[in-house]
Amino acid sequence: MGVMGKIGETISAGAREYLTFRLDREEYGIDILKVQEIRGYEPPTRIANAPNFIKGVVNLRGTIVPIVDMRLKFNCSKVEYNSFTVVIILNLHNRIVGIVVDSVSDVMELPAESLKAAPDVDSVIDSDAVLGLGSLGDRMLILLDIEKLMSGLDMELAPDVV
Amino acid sequence: MAEAHQEGSGSGVDFDLSQFYQIFFEEAGENLDLMEQMLLSLNLETADDEELNGIFRCAHSVKGGAATFGFSDVAELTHQMESLLDRLRRHELQPNAAMVDVLLESADASRGLLARHQAGGEGDSPPTADLVRRISVLASGNVAPPQASVVSSQQMSTPVTTPATVAVQPVIVAQAADKPLKTTRSLEIRIGPLDHPEQADAIKELFRDIPGLGEITALTSNQADTRVFAVETSSSDEDLLDLFAFHVSRAQVAIKELDDVAAVPEHGDGLFDGAVGSPKMVSYDDDPPPGAPLAPLPGFGFFDGAPGAPNPSAGMTVGAVVGSAGSAVPAKAAAKPAASVVQPEAATIRVAISKVDQLINLVGELVITQAMLAQNSRALDPALYQQLLTGLTDLDRNTRDLQESVMSIRMIPMSIVFSRFPRMLRDLANKLGKKVDFVTQGEATELDKGLVEKITDPLTHLVRNSCDHGIEMPADRVRAGKSETGTITLSAAHQGGSIVIEVRDDGHGMSREKILAKARERGMDVSDQMPDSEVWMLIFAPGFSTAEVVTDVSGRGVGMDVVKRNIAALNGTVEIDSAEGYGMKVSIRLPLTLAIMDGMSVGVGNEVYILPLSSVVESFQVKSDAVSTVGQGAQLVKVRDEYMPVIELEKVFQVPRFDPEKSSDIMVVIEADGCRVALLVDELLGQQQVVVKNLESNYRKVPNISGATILGDGKVALILDTGALVRRSRH
Repeated sequence: MGVMGKIGETISAGAREYLTFRLDREEYGIDILKVQEIRGYEPPTRIANAPNFIKGVVNLRGTIVPIVDMRLKFNCSKVEYNSFTVVIILNLHNRIVGIVVDSVSDVMELPAESLKAAPDVDSVIDSDAVLGLGSLGDRMLILLDIEKLMSGLDMELAPDVV
Repeated sequence: MAEAHQEGSGSGVDFDLSQFYQIFFEEAGENLDLMEQMLLSLNLETADDEELNGIFRCAHSVKGGAATFGFSDVAELTHQMESLLDRLRRHELQPNAAMVDVLLESADASRGLLARHQAGGEGDSPPTADLVRRISVLASGNVAPPQASVVSSQQMSTPVTTPATVAVQPVIVAQAADKPLKTTRSLEIRIGPLDHPEQADAIKELFRDIPGLGEITALTSNQADTRVFAVETSSSDEDLLDLFAFHVSRAQVAIKELDDVAAVPEHGDGLFDGAVGSPKMVSYDDDPPPGAPLAPLPGFGFFDGAPGAPNPSAGMTVGAVVGSAGSAVPAKAAAKPAASVVQPEAATIRVAISKVDQLINLVGELVITQAMLAQNSRALDPALYQQLLTGLTDLDRNTRDLQESVMSIRMIPMSIVFSRFPRMLRDLANKLGKKVDFVTQGEATELDKGLVEKITDPLTHLVRNSCDHGIEMPADRVRAGKSETGTITLSAAHQGGSIVIEVRDDGHGMSREKILAKARERGMDVSDQMPDSEVWMLIFAPGFSTAEVVTDVSGRGVGMDVVKRNIAALNGTVEIDSAEGYGMKVSIRLPLTLAIMDGMSVGVGNEVYILPLSSVVESFQVKSDAVSTVGQGAQLVKVRDEYMPVIELEKVFQVPRFDPEKSSDIMVVIEADGCRVALLVDELLGQQQVVVKNLESNYRKVPNISGATILGDGKVALILDTGALVRRSRH
């Protein structure tokens, strides 16, 4: 599927490809077109007085990129940094941000009709940022609108006055 | 020729000209700026041909382009300007102030018209009818012009003129001299001094190899390092020089006419008409190539005199020869326009700044990678890895050279900034009824483009200040025993790693007493014992003004503090020097570029922070008992006779401590906004040049941090915002 074919397409109009990753025991999917690259974790430079889920900034080939640990953001119980810890570099509206996840599993195509609306449950994730739930056999995939999630005010990634 | 032009604009319908519009607007803007600059520097009594020709060329370029693109209102106005200028440069009229005024106004009007076209024709166009009328009144003059120029001025006033029209004059001149254009000439060509005279022998082969070039015979030379040839040719000197350039440098070739009667060689045109700097233009006279009016870009080039410009030495040689051959044009006047045709833009290209920045970024990464390699290779045994290490040394040198060259791309000369002042000052001085000379020095000094843009406003303010407050009214100046005309000098120079820009005036300077009185009035803490330098710094306080009368020019007291803040934001400093009755001097010291900064790296815990070296005053080791507290809160340290607030970086940045044994015991005194504070750090790691990176492009502004940089090991280090730290200590 060509890149051009995806632009302007809505969820209901056909299948999209998702990059899936794991946080603790949950599995998430994000639009693959927002992903710039995937890297191993390297300790970032800490930024004082930033929220705890912002690990700091790293040097991505000359660009200063903030790193958000999704596990801290989503209150995962176990947060460790080992050789499997992965950083997904996202390009959202020409701003680059990296997210730390436990591991990247797959790239998969999901037809729009296989998406189920997420029920309203109490969660740390803003329900607006959840596109829906997909099922992979007996596993559940949480599809995120990563752009909306990262631009939320609580992420403190962009200047307050937008 | 007029037909040829119309054909050109007519075919513009199917040939999309719009892609050239932007280039035209830029070039026209530059030409108008240049014209304005030259008009302002024009000395009315002694205006020389070079200046007048230059101004004419600018108007002409704009007109040519405007006509090509179908902007008839601009073309009409510039055409009138051109007609007036044409008569000026041919000395049929004597330039006067009224002309300069109307030309300046016309340049403004042209800018307005162009801006309107650029915006797609929206908005009202500035009225030009009055200007056109005024110019034509001035241009009509009262001096009866000589015969030949009547012909050409008629040519000039055809409503739709083509760029090639100017080239008509050479024909007239040449015909007036009653000399056919193409004729075989006998020349003596002297080549030397050469290190290897054999090189010149290759010239002989040229004549053999190129059919129709002419005959060459070697003559005996009285100097061993010089060769002399007799040549029979129909080619112009310029063509010959071009050919010879393959073998010998132009500067070493001297061409002399053997036949003295052939007084007007083809280059005569180049001399009578500055616009026709390139002899290639001659070919347009009787047979304009159809492509020329169609393609506007080369057209501009010709009239800028840029691409076809002969090199100065060649121009001088030719000019001198013509002069000695008894031409009516004095050699001096003839040689000058030829030299002025050589403009630096001849070999420039326009590149989007974003591309340059990308290049700088890439080179920055290369430098970091190189530093990493260098670091890792240090452990290698030189005996075993000799080749690798040699390669790395080369890489080191090449990377540095590359970085330097790439950084220099962003550098632009200060003349870009300076050039806007003469006009402003002229208007201002007229308004205030003062007489002011404006002198600039060091226009060629180069500065980062980003800095140039940001320094313009503060400088404008300082220059306006000098004119308004500094320079006295002419009568007062005479009374004070000074010349009636005041002088404002703007200079720029490199000093070490920074650039120093000075605004000087010879006005009445600042009065120490007045400033102190004013400061007391405002309740500021001052004493009569303050050194001069501190007194002068008082005027940077917000709302401070010593002007007795508030004018719309200045005197409201807003400004100097803004100037200081703007310059501090560029990591620069301001100093004032003044002597009452003799004038004052404001010096601005700026780093050469915003992208690279001299930094001092300090360690706190396991973290590294960078301090701008420009704000570091001193550093020292401190004993724990030297720090005293005030009200159990703020800490102060006594440095010599001064108590300074202490800022513990560890606390400000909440640095985690893994080693409880270790504690900060080094103080770094920094100065910003005229205040000093002492920063408490663990260790000083060293000084280095750092490439400043923006945190906000992907993240957000971080308190007390001005940016980030990448260290030799690829890690990010944050750069401290000293201004914010100092302000923090005050509250």
